[in-house]
Amino acid sequence: MLKPLVSMRGVTKFIYGGDGRPLRNTDVKILEEVDFDLFPGEVHVLVGENGAGKSTLMKILGGVIPPDRGELEIDGARVNLADARDAREKGVAFIHQELNLCANLDVAHNIFLGREPRRRGLKDAGEMYRRSAELLKALSTDLDPRLPVARLSTAQQQLVEIAKAMSFQSRVVIMDEPTASLTKREIDVLFELIRRMRAEGMGIVYISHRFEEILAIGDRFTVLRDGRRVGTLPIQAFKPDSVIWMMAGRSIDEMYPRAHAVHPEPVLEVHGLRLTPRTPPIDLVVRRGEVVGLGGLVGSGRTELAKSVFGARRFHGGEVRYLGRKTNGWSPARLIRAGVAYLSEDRKTEGLIPPMSIRENLTLASLRSVATLGFLSRPREERQAARLIDELSIVARSSEQIVSTLSGGNQQKCVLGKWLCTAPQLLMLDEPTRGIDVGAKAQIHKLIDQIAGAGVGILMISSELPELIGISDRVYVMREGGVAAELEAGPELTQERVVACMV
Amino acid sequence: MSARATEDLQAGPAPGERREPPAQAPAAAGKGRARLAPGDLLNLIGRNVALFIFLTLVILASLFVNNFAALDNAVVILKQSAIPAIAVIGMTMVLMTGGIDLSLGYVVGLASIVSGIMANTWLWPAPAVLAAILALGLALGLCNGLITQFMRVPAFIATLGTGYVLYGLAQIVSQGSIINRLPKDFLAIGRTPMFGLPSAVFLALGVAVAFHLLISRTIYGRQLKAFGFGARTAALSGVPGARINVSVYAFCATLAALSGLLFTIRVNAAQPNMGGGVFTFEVVTAAIVGGTSLFGGVGSVANSILGVLSIKIIENCINLLGVSYHLYLAVQGAIILVAIIFGNLTNRRA
Repeated sequence: MLKPLVSMRGVTKFIYGGDGRPLRNTDVKILEEVDFDLFPGEVHVLVGENGAGKSTLMKILGGVIPPDRGELEIDGARVNLADARDAREKGVAFIHQELNLCANLDVAHNIFLGREPRRRGLKDAGEMYRRSAELLKALSTDLDPRLPVARLSTAQQQLVEIAKAMSFQSRVVIMDEPTASLTKREIDVLFELIRRMRAEGMGIVYISHRFEEILAIGDRFTVLRDGRRVGTLPIQAFKPDSVIWMMAGRSIDEMYPRAHAVHPEPVLEVHGLRLTPRTPPIDLVVRRGEVVGLGGLVGSGRTELAKSVFGARRFHGGEVRYLGRKTNGWSPARLIRAGVAYLSEDRKTEGLIPPMSIRENLTLASLRSVATLGFLSRPREERQAARLIDELSIVARSSEQIVSTLSGGNQQKCVLGKWLCTAPQLLMLDEPTRGIDVGAKAQIHKLIDQIAGAGVGILMISSELPELIGISDRVYVMREGGVAAELEAGPELTQERVVACMV
Repeated sequence: MSARATEDLQAGPAPGERREPPAQAPAAAGKGRARLAPGDLLNLIGRNVALFIFLTLVILASLFVNNFAALDNAVVILKQSAIPAIAVIGMTMVLMTGGIDLSLGYVVGLASIVSGIMANTWLWPAPAVLAAILALGLALGLCNGLITQFMRVPAFIATLGTGYVLYGLAQIVSQGSIINRLPKDFLAIGRTPMFGLPSAVFLALGVAVAFHLLISRTIYGRQLKAFGFGARTAALSGVPGARINVSVYAFCATLAALSGLLFTIRVNAAQPNMGGGVFTFEVVTAAIVGGTSLFGGVGSVANSILGVLSIKIIENCINLLGVSYHLYLAVQGAIILVAIIFGNLTNRRA
């Protein structure tokens, strides 16, 4: 049995109060009784949601902050790290996500910053450049040690950081999301380097959110959640579904809730609609309480189909029926009044009026419902806005806040809110979760399920296959302006099937 | 602060919890509540630019210009402001859509000579002349609106063209002459004294109140604002963009025709050269001083009227100081330039 390079036992870190003293009596801790091992010649991946404690654990290992409780052993010897410099001298190198280099200095000066080789009390520049060149050569790069760091790419700067780590004779290297700003090629180079470091018996802690990278480079992985270690497993046990469950404490089913039920009567029927004179006729149906996914590549005609149904685009032949009535030639305004809504993929120019307030945006498509004889009632508008801000959990100072100052997720909720104000029977969603953070995404998925549960028919365009498959009761896949396939939810509906129909 | 927030320093704010920067500047927080911090004051001014400019001009003029701060002079300014105040309302609405109506001054000229002919030559009763002139304005405005909306001609070009057509028409109709000595009942529309002011001032006030309500309180006004800020979003939200776009030109020319009629009454002479490019320019300047954006979306009747009062105060001071009237034109040009440069700068920052 190999002896571990690093062994952390029962590491605990409290939350700190406003007075700078730890709060020992609360249940919530940043880290609680976390064990962590790193063996020589292994890449140990650390995964977890933001705030799970990954960075704190690594800061303790890197000597940046001390643990409140617990032990740390390096090479079998118990250590108390005084600071980051102390950790570095004991062989732990921390490569931060934001690189810590001095842009005005050259490569060699950065590598030997603060410990430049000396001869008779004077800096020995020749020795410094020689040793830098050696280190860089060992990393099989021909980077010139005299180049100023400001002129290097992110990937090259990372190499300098690694060279610096090697110059300390480090045996433990912590990499915090090192690939965040690298290209595919640069990532390959980095991975090659990591493999060589591993072969030389170094231990690497690798923090990443990217599953494919974790599978490509990891040997073991540890999942942290809410400051606790959920488990440490060999990489062969790394399955996205189960890892998401370990990270989030909820399964895929909970990410894509499905409490709604489909009613038989159709809300939307499309018969033989042609998007252009040359594309095939499209047939499609959306029922009450049903979430129908519309998949396909960008440019396959998904948005065009939704806009055709919404009266915002001309189409060639065929008919559109909404609640049994033929609606060919209806304007968006008339369709909106009848209960049709279309949430555009382009939030900024087709979904919101960014310089107007949340209230004004929410009521824009349903002004009649808050007006008498054409005059708007401010109290009614405010009640409506307050209700939606509450129902959709829009985070804002007040309903008067200007929409452009909101985060992407909250902006998207405003667009959704605008359409909910119109009391739709048919809701068409075009990329409803594009460009918003994970938390808001899960909330929007939940809302979609609730809206369908209220009997609304939903047609959802999405390029995110897990979302498309996770939420939809049925999926139409479009290709070159026509419907290539119709797939029912179930074991048959897989990402591979959808992709196969798309191209 | 939550556990999450203290823990992951590099992660930034938690998802969905992005907080906005504090509304007050840190400097403002430290000082006592009763006193306005500089940041707050700037903010207050920023929200009421038109009022701030107006008050500053009144104070400066009262201090430095002899005979400015007199009741008689205030009456003069109000009389001079009433007619452009009516015209600026329509221009504000057009500017709110992101367009412009350069034919406004020429509608004034045509309305003037046509009203003179109706009242003096055809001997129409005053109400009939008023109705006919409003109808004429409406028709001309619809032309402007339909050309910009459906022929896809930029408003700038379309209204410049129609403006010159109207100017030519006015010259032909008038046969080069001015009609003086208009009938009493016709003059009464704008000259009846009420509370020491001519009825034109109260007419302007009435029109202003009506349009202020239209723009700030109705569905139409909200849709106009939305259309001006983002035509695509508005269209996909059921806002009848075409109807709104045509309607603003119709309102603008109708109000311009009313201005022409009241101008004719004020000077007791119907003439085809009334209004013209100089008047259009004055009205656009007033709207801009009133905070109306040349890029659409932003505009208010009350502020535009404050803009009219402000530039009329400038004109009044130039008169009182005995400086050349042409300085007034130069000042207007400078105001528009500054507004455009400033607008460009703020747009770039946004």
